[in-house]
Parts: sequence; structure tokens; C-alpha cells
Amino acid sequence: MKESVASGPSEYAVDEYAVELSGCTKEFAMPGGGSYFAVRDINLRVEPGRFVSIVGPTGSGKSTILSMAAGLLEPTAGNVRSYGTPVQGVNRRASYMFQQDALLPWKSVIDNVSLGLTMAGVSKTEAYSEARRWLEKVGLKNFADRYPHQLSGGMRKRTAVAQAWIVDPDILLMDEPFSALDVQTRQIMENELLQLWQESGKAVVFITHDLDEAIALSDEVVILGAGPGSTVVGSYEISIPRPRDLLDIRDDPQFIELHREIWGRLKIEVSKTYEAALAEDGEVA
Amino acid sequence: MTMTGSKESPKSVHTSPDGARGQLTRGRSGKSAGRKPGMSALTMRTAQLVLALVVLGGWELLGRAGIIDEFFFPLPSDILATVWVWISTGYVFPHLLITMEESILAFIVGAGVGLFLGFLLARVRFLERLLDPFLQMFNALPRVVLAPIFLLWFGLGIWSKVAFGFTLVFFIVFFNTLEGVKGVDRVLVDNARMLGATEKQLLRHVFIPSALTWIFSSLHISVGFAITGAVVGEYLGASAGVGYAIAQAQGVFDTRGVFAGMFILMFAVLVIDLLVNRLEKHLLKWRPSRSA
Repeated sequence: MKESVASGPSEYAVDEYAVELSGCTKEFAMPGGGSYFAVRDINLRVEPGRFVSIVGPTGSGKSTILSMAAGLLEPTAGNVRSYGTPVQGVNRRASYMFQQDALLPWKSVIDNVSLGLTMAGVSKTEAYSEARRWLEKVGLKNFADRYPHQLSGGMRKRTAVAQAWIVDPDILLMDEPFSALDVQTRQIMENELLQLWQESGKAVVFITHDLDEAIALSDEVVILGAGPGSTVVGSYEISIPRPRDLLDIRDDPQFIELHREIWGRLKIEVSKTYEAALAEDGEVA
Repeated sequence: MTMTGSKESPKSVHTSPDGARGQLTRGRSGKSAGRKPGMSALTMRTAQLVLALVVLGGWELLGRAGIIDEFFFPLPSDILATVWVWISTGYVFPHLLITMEESILAFIVGAGVGLFLGFLLARVRFLERLLDPFLQMFNALPRVVLAPIFLLWFGLGIWSKVAFGFTLVFFIVFFNTLEGVKGVDRVLVDNARMLGATEKQLLRHVFIPSALTWIFSSLHISVGFAITGAVVGEYLGASAGVGYAIAQAQGVFDTRGVFAGMFILMFAVLVIDLLVNRLEKHLLKWRPSRSA
């Protein structure tokens, strides 16, 4: 079940990965001169149709990895490929769900959802009818004309889901999309996400700091080491059968076993991060 | 004469837009008062009216009693009478028309160029860094000193005033647009890019709407500045316009005329600001109202 990343994916005979990061390093210049490494030598392969979560302690560069896969950030070293072609500029086959609110506040819900289509040249009537279909799917069909500030946090996330899915991407990059929601809303959203995904055959790269969430949702959980300059320290196959019922999955013996195993590894990185933070505080004091 | 004129005018350059802003906030608080049960809004209006009457009435009484010099502070009733004469004889309208024409031209050209350069420099980092010191330099220049040279360049007609108003309006709109576009939330830009936005679509769907808030706050001020530019320009040298009419009145020590001109200008600016408010409300209807 446990496998190292270097040897792991090679057992699948897939030559075209939805997302493939090879030896990716990202170095940021510091404002006061000098630089620091956000991530170092990241190797990550996501096959089409797979749900992969990346879990790591605070500051381990999870978002950096996702931004590189999206083409929003260019790696300092290494290369990013998507379905065999190098990613240059924005990855056109991917949608991105941001941790923060990313809806355009000056556009109504339906205009936000249909934005990806209208910008691609789809006629407004067609884009609207497709957007209505998606709004119904995420349970917001009566809120089409509202503005984002008139919605609850959960409703804004649903709108963001519809906005990301309507363009029918092959890859969904999700950066802690539900972290701002309360626990109940979050579980409902996770359930709905899984239902959407199961029928879709899309590849998902899901960033979270919540190991429960990662195991419950994913086919594979990738663990990042403590930052800065973190790298992949482990990768775990999650073989819990699908469809999964997320509301009860935390009692599943397989889940508990996996959780113990992965947490054993993650704990080391989390304590490293914590100790580093303590040491820094000590220096300041 | 010219010396005192140019000394006074920078002061008026500042007071006019501030006045416009004060009016703006008052309008807002009036609206939020309207949310509370009907009475309080009405009470506030009444209180405002009482305040105005007390100030003007006190002024009138003190003037009549001879405590304040009627020559320097003409009685409100006399000012009102002069305003009425200026309006009823039609004396003020050609002047007002000229001033409005100059203001509108200065505003359109200044805001247009300011918006364009603001967007351009915000999107092209190289240009911003190249031009920054020069823009700062020109902005640091007290604009009033330009008026005489504009009079030489563009003559006594409207264009010297338009040019003068332009230098006032341009910088406000420009700097606000620049800040507005640069201050756009990175996540919104990234999201639009991930949804496939081209540079042009980014401008249309993200940057322009996002900068609108800033641009509108600058519009209120720059409308005031456009009129200030026109009036100060007229005051320094012209053959028509409200500023010219005020200068004429001052020339014969007719302080009533000076005050009448001031009041008429004040109301003209109020009306224009109201129109800008309307437009703002329409274009920014997506914004959560502050009191909600």
C-alpha cells in the first residue's frame, strides 16, 4: 500500500499524465534581497480520472505546486507537462478553485458561472442555458441574479464549483476550496464534489491540510515535507471502494488504518514545522 | 491684483472639491438615516434646515445691526437679490454656459487621458517605472502657476481654461486609475485567466470594473476640479465666464456680486455632483451597501 513516489507511478503504463511535474523547484526572491525555496525537486504524476490529494503542514508549498500545475507560476527548475505537452502560460485543460473568494463581485451569479463560456465565444443565450443547468445542479437555480455579496459562504463555493466545471476541464485543481466553510457545510460540499467527479472522469488535484478530508476523497494522498524547500516525502494509495459515503467513512476500519499509517508520517513533518516556528519565536524573543 | 488673485486661488482649488466631498458623505448618511424608521430622516432634514436658517438669519441680523461690516459680508438677503437679478435678467447664463463648456471639455479630456494612461501604465510595468518621476514632478507643481503661461499659449478664450482644468483633472483620475488597476485582487485575475480570459477580456471583465470604484471616487473630486480650473482660469484672464463675472464684480468692489457668483457656482456643482452620484449608483449596483 505504501510506496515511494519515485517508483510508484511507473507501475502504471500511462505515458500521458493529466498533470506531470518533474523535478520542479520554485525559488522566490525576497523583498530584502536573497531568496528562498518554496518547494524543491517536486515529482508528481496524476493520471487522467484520478483524484489525488496533496497534504502537508503549513508553509509546505502546497499552493505553489498547484499554481505550477495551473501554469500560473513558472517553476525555477524542472518542467510541467499536461497530457504530454509542456505547460506554457495558463494550462488550458485545467480549472482552478481558489481557497479565497474568486468570484467577480460585480457580476451576478449567472454571469460568473457563464463567464468561462462567454469568454470562449459561446453565445450568451447558450452560455446562460448551460449556466442555468449548472446552477440547478449545485442547488442555486433561484439565485441566478444575486450578486456574490448577497450569498452565504457555502453558496459562493457552489457558484465557484459551477464556474469551474462549466467549461468541462480535464483537470480540476482545487486549493483548499472548502477550508473557509463550517464543518457541516464542508461535508455536504465534499459529498457533492465526489458525486460530480464520479460521473466525470476528470483528474483532480486537491490541496488540503486536513488528512481526514484527503483520505475520504482521494485515490492517492501525497505528503509534503516541512517547508521551506519542502518536497514530496510519501505517497499513499487509498483503496477504499467507491462510491464512498463521506458521512460515515470516518468509522470505516480501512479508513482508520490508513489514517494511522499516513498520520504517522505526516506527524513528523508537522512537528518539524512546529519546532521551526518555535525556534524562530525564540530568536525573536 | 494679480498677486492677491494667485494667492487666493490655490485656496479655492482645495475648498471646492472638499465641498463636493462633504456633500457626498452627507448624502450617504442621509440615505442610511432613511433606513431607520421614517421619522429620523425627516427630523434630520428639519434639523439641517434649521441650522441653515440660524446661520443665515444670524448673519443677516448681525449685518443689519452693524456688528459685521456689510461691505465685506453682504447681507444674505442682498446676495439673494443679486442672484435673482443675475438670473432674471439672464446676465449670468452666458457666463455659466461658458464656464460649463470649459469645465466639461477639461473634464472629458482630462478624465479620458487620465483613464487611458492609468490603465496603460498599470498594465505595462516598464512605462510606469520610466514615467513615474516625471509624473511626480508635474504633479508636484502648483498648477496655478501654469495659468499665466496657458493664457499666453492658448489666448484669452476657452482653451486656456480647458488646458488649465485638464492639468487638475488629469492627475487625479490618472493616479486613482493606476492605483485602482494595480490594486485588483490577484486571485480575481488568476481566476479569470484560468477561465480562459485574454488580456482584453481581463481588462473588460476584471480591471475596468474593479477600478471603477476608485475612478468614481476620483470623479467626484475631478468634477469639482474641472470647474475650479475653469473659474480660476477665467478669474486670471478672460472675457466671459462666471470667474470673469466674479472678477468684474470684485473690480468695482461689488462684494454682493462676488458672493452671488459663488452661490451660483456652488449650486451648479451640487447639481452636477448629484448626476455623478446617480451614474455611480447605477454602475456600482453590485456593491454591498455600507450600512447593510
